[in-house]
Amino acid sequence: MFGYIIDIGEQMLLSGAEVHRVEESISRMGYALGAERVDVFIITSSMVVTFHTKNGETYTQTRRITTSNTDYEKLHQLNELSRNICDKRLSEIQITNQLELISNIKKAPIWVEIICFSIIAGAFTLFFGGNIKESVISLIIGAIVRITIYFPEMIISNKIFNKFLSTVIITLLTFLLLKCKIIMSADNIIIGNIMTLIPGIGLTNALRDLFTGDSIAGLLRLIEAVLMALAISAGYFLVTLWGGFVI
Amino acid sequence: MNNTEILQIVSGFIGSLGFGVLFNIRGKKLIIASIGGLLAWLLFILFNKAISNEAICYFIVAAIISAYAEISARLCKTPATTFITTSLIPLIPGSSLYYTMSSVFSGGLENFMEKAIYTLQLASSLALGIILSTAFLKIFLKLITAKNKNYLTDKTEV
Repeated sequence: MFGYIIDIGEQMLLSGAEVHRVEESISRMGYALGAERVDVFIITSSMVVTFHTKNGETYTQTRRITTSNTDYEKLHQLNELSRNICDKRLSEIQITNQLELISNIKKAPIWVEIICFSIIAGAFTLFFGGNIKESVISLIIGAIVRITIYFPEMIISNKIFNKFLSTVIITLLTFLLLKCKIIMSADNIIIGNIMTLIPGIGLTNALRDLFTGDSIAGLLRLIEAVLMALAISAGYFLVTLWGGFVI
Repeated sequence: MNNTEILQIVSGFIGSLGFGVLFNIRGKKLIIASIGGLLAWLLFILFNKAISNEAICYFIVAAIISAYAEISARLCKTPATTFITTSLIPLIPGSSLYYTMSSVFSGGLENFMEKAIYTLQLASSLALGIILSTAFLKIFLKLITAKNKNYLTDKTEV
């Protein structure tokens, strides 16, 4: 029974919940299922959970977390399940059925993702002061980048490397267009496309974790966000320096 | 409010909507989250007319938007992260990160340092706004719910 609680917590963490929230959910569910004491320690890459029952038994499990993929619909369903466990005392079969249903939730297919990326890039080019022509070009570049990054992403699931590669493609395409005199300035197109890569959410979550007291989890996230920003800068520098595009 | 500002607000809304779909937010929640994106930039423009310091504006807007997010999260019975991350997308300092990068080539060390510090300032005032607003809202809600004791009572931290 306690194993399911840890499964739910693990899934919550994987779909983008904050450390604080997962710890709280696990301990609430634990107490609701009759544990006398619950000890939870979570950082973004691992979980350690111990339940002490009233008969004097202890259950401990450790989980290693490697990937994470933001999926708020999944998180919403998991949150609802954990509320139900606390309030309605679901049976073991009900919990397994619910978990099965939740793990079948699909994210948007790849073509929707491509459209989203290009729309975001186009919108933010306009947002930061680009004109309509620049925005349309940004839209196209956004789609191209998402398509080209699709295959490397299947082989290497390293986020930092993929962001680096994406920035190289964005900068290269934009500067080529600039050389051909199709566009007058590269700034807004690159900014619009960078907005799809930037670890802004990672950085804010990192600072939030730090301030709420989950120092280790916060530091790990902070380092991850800084590395991603560095990867984006490195991709930009690579093209501008060695591509001979210094303006 | 002139045309560029309206264009910015609309494109901020579209940007938030795009991220909402990427993050698999569905139905009513998607609309609330993207309207948050629209509100975020609208408020920023309004506050920036009165206060010229952008970092302070970021702080105030982040605080208001995360209060909006926390309240809608309670109404929709869903984690507040959903709304906070998606609604604050237009405030992410993407352009200042880019200008920090490009100033390495064009502006010299002083210019680079200035831009880098500015980017950090924006990011940290954003985070601080979120944290303070969430903390105050939690204290406030705890004071309200203190009378009818439910399962919330086992933890006292903010």
